Amino acid sequence: MLSTVLEQVVNGIVTGSVYAIVAVGMTMIFGVLRAINFAHGEYYMLGTFGAWFAIDYLGLSYEASIIVGVLATMVVAYVVGQLVMSRMVGAPAESGVLATLGIALILQNTVIFVFGGGYKFFSGGYIEPISIFGFSLAQQRILILVVCLVVFVGLELMVTYSRLGMAMRAVSQNVECCEVVGIDVPQVVSRTFILGAALAALSGVLTAPVNVSVYGGMGELITFKTLPIIIMGGLGNVRGTFFAAMILGIAESLVATYVGLQFRDTVGFATLILVLMWRPHGLFSTQARF
Amino acid sequence: MSLTETVPQARRRDLRIPLAVVLIVVALAAPYIGSRYVTHSLIIALIFMLPAHGLNLLVGYTGLLSLAQAAFFGIGAYTAGLLAVNYGTPFYVNLIAAALVSGAAALPLGIPALRLRSTSFVMCTLGFVIIGQAIAKNWVSVTRGDMGLSSIPKPYFELGPLSFTVSGTTNFYYLALAVGVLATLAVWAIVRSPAGRNMVAIRENETLAESLGVPTWHYKLIVFMISAMFAGVGGCLYAHYLTVVSPLTFQMYYSTTMLIIVLGGGAGMISGTVFGSLLFVGLTEALRVAPEVRMIAYGACLLVLVFWFKQGFAPLINRFWNAIGGVK
Repeated sequence: MLSTVLEQVVNGIVTGSVYAIVAVGMTMIFGVLRAINFAHGEYYMLGTFGAWFAIDYLGLSYEASIIVGVLATMVVAYVVGQLVMSRMVGAPAESGVLATLGIALILQNTVIFVFGGGYKFFSGGYIEPISIFGFSLAQQRILILVVCLVVFVGLELMVTYSRLGMAMRAVSQNVECCEVVGIDVPQVVSRTFILGAALAALSGVLTAPVNVSVYGGMGELITFKTLPIIIMGGLGNVRGTFFAAMILGIAESLVATYVGLQFRDTVGFATLILVLMWRPHGLFSTQARF
Repeated sequence: MSLTETVPQARRRDLRIPLAVVLIVVALAAPYIGSRYVTHSLIIALIFMLPAHGLNLLVGYTGLLSLAQAAFFGIGAYTAGLLAVNYGTPFYVNLIAAALVSGAAALPLGIPALRLRSTSFVMCTLGFVIIGQAIAKNWVSVTRGDMGLSSIPKPYFELGPLSFTVSGTTNFYYLALAVGVLATLAVWAIVRSPAGRNMVAIRENETLAESLGVPTWHYKLIVFMISAMFAGVGGCLYAHYLTVVSPLTFQMYYSTTMLIIVLGGGAGMISGTVFGSLLFVGLTEALRVAPEVRMIAYGACLLVLVFWFKQGFAPLINRFWNAIGGVK
């Protein structure tokens, strides 16, 4: 009994890591743009499709396909950033919602239009299980955990010490002042956006071997799971996002086992509504920043 | 006669009444002018016009961007479908029940949701659609889960000894047209009333409206419920027309479609919503575009509307009304 619970918790942490890598990009984009990116899951999907394309059509190895998937997504994100996101600086919140919903529709359906709507088999990855402390865990899941930790430590360092990180924090505090002191706001927005999209794509490529199937509508589900995480974590809060993602991952995994698999996907939105009601500034921030 | 007095310009003729006559004739004769497929497209456009009218009251007049419309559309569709399948009730009973159930569902959902602002409100309303779909999928004993409700009977009326069934595309078109016209008149009545002006006041500046004694909280809640009732009526027509209701009635795509109708036609404008539903639903149905292409086009429409045509077709419609109304 206890070992089943522990196993579910470990599974939940792996799922949480996947969500965390996607959500941290979304929360950083919110920080600089003050807009929720409803298209964020689509970059997760694009990364996965890029990798799948690289393996199935170009015959590349899984390692190379990770790079292809992430780079392809970054190119798309660059174009979207230049055409759309840069216009959203200082725009009302509603137009951000509508514009990103539009992008989500375009990206998702272009992929379905080109590759078809059916499920595709993702063949790459390290799926052999190994056992640690009596748990049997696929290598890929361990890779996900490791990458998640690396990403978060890296992001903490970057946001705290690097030039771009400091500029990002500055933009998230006051756009006008940034312009006064000479920070190139559109450039910071564009780079943050590309970074966020690349992280989502990375998460997608890393998860694909675990999920096995790849399909055009997969991004929407990820967007829906990321929304509650970034709210719980406190919008723009990198560390909070990490813990919120873990909480959601574990909660989903426990609900799937003990309540019913079909309720797993509603956990997120039920949590979202509850958190919005009682702690709209998130579980980890002491006061509302935005 | 002084020199400064300008020569009055010749008024153009007021063509509004002739135009109205032409429109009424076209609307009534549409099934006989166009093909069956055109009639079908018009029915779909009329069905989507109803939730769009509700959404217009929310977005256009009260300034609340909501994605929950598909949830109330689905609730209405399930209510009407369940009544018709299980009890064989007449159409008007289903219609009223769908409106009331959707409106009632909006009360417990609206109270928490309306405490939120802008993006949080949007996310919360999106959550209603997702959770609605999950309930429709999992409450198998009532909704039959993923199988959905099928073979929903044709709408029938029972007036004392008389009873008749609306069958065939043409007859259903007249039913949808009648409901659509009544709904449009209802929106017009709401908007023209003092309540409609208070809604606009809330949209323009909620704090100021509150300070002038407008009970903004009650207004927002009631408008949210009214918009849900419109969506419920649309859902009822949808269930009876397609004769199938599945959990996929609760999907964000429908909410997006309704948003595009309202924003594209011009938010805060009744004729805009009518025009928008004909343009965006009727046209895509009639052109038989592949669903993916249609959604790509919808996405592009959203971007264009947000950044370049903030008012949608409203300025064009205004200019048209002025031109035919004889106003220079």
